[in-house]
Amino acid sequence: MRTRFAMLAATLAGAAFAQQPAPPSPAFAASNVTPKGVASMATACAMCHGSGGMPAAGSTVAPLAGRPAQGTVDAMKAFKEGKRDATIMHQIAKGYSDAEIAAIAAYFAARKEAP
Amino acid sequence: MSFARRSFLKAGGAALAAGLAGCASMAPAAKAKARVVVIGGGYGGATAARYVKMLDPAIDVVLVEPNDAFVSCPLSNMVLGGFKSMADITRPYTGLERRGVRVVRDMATAIDVERKQVRLERGDALAFDRVILSPGVDFMWEALPAMGNAAAQGEVLHAWKAGPQTAALRRQLEAMPDGGIYVLSVPEAPYRCPPGPYERACQVAAYFKARKPRSKVILLDANGDVTSKGPLFKRAWADLYQGLIEYRPNSKAVDVDVRGRAVKLEFDDVKADVLNVLPPMKAGNVAAPFITANKRWCEVDWLTYESKAAKGVHILGDSLQIAPAMPKSGSMANAHGKVCAMAVVALVNGEAPNAAPTIINTCYSMVSDKHAMHVTSVHKYDERDRTMKAVPGSGGVSPGMSELEGTYTMNWAANIWADTLS
Repeated sequence: MRTRFAMLAATLAGAAFAQQPAPPSPAFAASNVTPKGVASMATACAMCHGSGGMPAAGSTVAPLAGRPAQGTVDAMKAFKEGKRDATIMHQIAKGYSDAEIAAIAAYFAARKEAP
Repeated sequence: MSFARRSFLKAGGAALAAGLAGCASMAPAAKAKARVVVIGGGYGGATAARYVKMLDPAIDVVLVEPNDAFVSCPLSNMVLGGFKSMADITRPYTGLERRGVRVVRDMATAIDVERKQVRLERGDALAFDRVILSPGVDFMWEALPAMGNAAAQGEVLHAWKAGPQTAALRRQLEAMPDGGIYVLSVPEAPYRCPPGPYERACQVAAYFKARKPRSKVILLDANGDVTSKGPLFKRAWADLYQGLIEYRPNSKAVDVDVRGRAVKLEFDDVKADVLNVLPPMKAGNVAAPFITANKRWCEVDWLTYESKAAKGVHILGDSLQIAPAMPKSGSMANAHGKVCAMAVVALVNGEAPNAAPTIINTCYSMVSDKHAMHVTSVHKYDERDRTMKAVPGSGGVSPGMSELEGTYTMNWAANIWADTLS
């Protein structure tokens, strides 16, 4: 009984959804590649690559801080284009424009000390 | 020197020259530029406190947290599986204290927006210029009438806030004889950590497989299907725990028979030897006056995390009304903490906050002692709808569980804990 109601509800929901226009594509804010904007973006890498791009003790993941910018750019490009094997970076790299990647890479290349 | 300190030397050199303010008085320290009080030392609050202090040492930062140490919800299911100890998921607040964050061991009971004070359970009220609330979730016990008292809550555990309940649930599992039934009741989404219940089922099943092979896990899910990484979890259950996990969707708990140790569903009761009930959740109690969505969650400006209900009050983490496709996760709370900290520091210094924040969510689930799988997404600010949205084409899940991702899970924990607490 309950299953039938659930199925009916699902069908109705599906029908309602089908009648709605496709959602408009996102209106993302223009990327902020000022020093502060880039630093903000770069903090998102910390949960896997370490605070400030410096991995914590015991972590085996690649450090980002101090790494030459071109190396980071090349790696991100290869991830983005699916040319380099990854567990997760191919999915994350697709969230960033080339300009953002270049700015983040330059930011980490210039970092030498722990935060 | 960090990016922000350089600009703040220009913006507020005099205040910066005044040095660190660690004064324990009720009013903001005389020479501090401003006082920011952070409520809650979890993934969101501790991160916000750390980043505000790092970005502008001239701001007096006070973190109010009742617990002596940080206990991570992520990885806490491995304590139930017997693969991690409580010590493995516990980290001190000393790193924040070394940076000059004053950690006050107390419970914030109310925010007086007019007088700009945080009221505490034991200590004197704390004055603030801006307050950041990251109180996590509290439980809607009213949804399970028999659970509305301390005795019932001490017997039928949630273990959905890592800490004493995690250790207590592990003890219940250890005491359960082989052949017993563990029942986990999952509330309707949204709740803290969408994949958490399904990971917990894996961890408990791993323990049973090794030590109590005649036992069984019954997952009673109020939702119509697994709410996160569904196909991946179902494959892991089939490949690793065949016959050990029974999944029942559309099984919403309406009450609990505490003495009879059973979950009451609409049409039948499900008896357990170990009963683990996750009640429906809402914003943490101290944030209740700022709830604006569905009587459960707090809405904010996604550029500053300032509450839509009160100026000068910032809210982050699991208490938030989520943006589309944004989970309530430790990863998101850590990300909120950083965007919020940068915005608060900008506002204190009379600058404009970043108008284009980009954040990443990455949640790993450990499906055995060593195998994991992930879900990830990249979120950017949508100007038109004033919310965060997942970037089309980005993000995704693992093709399947792997040991490599198990290693990355441990890296994730070490690094996010350092980013939150060091």
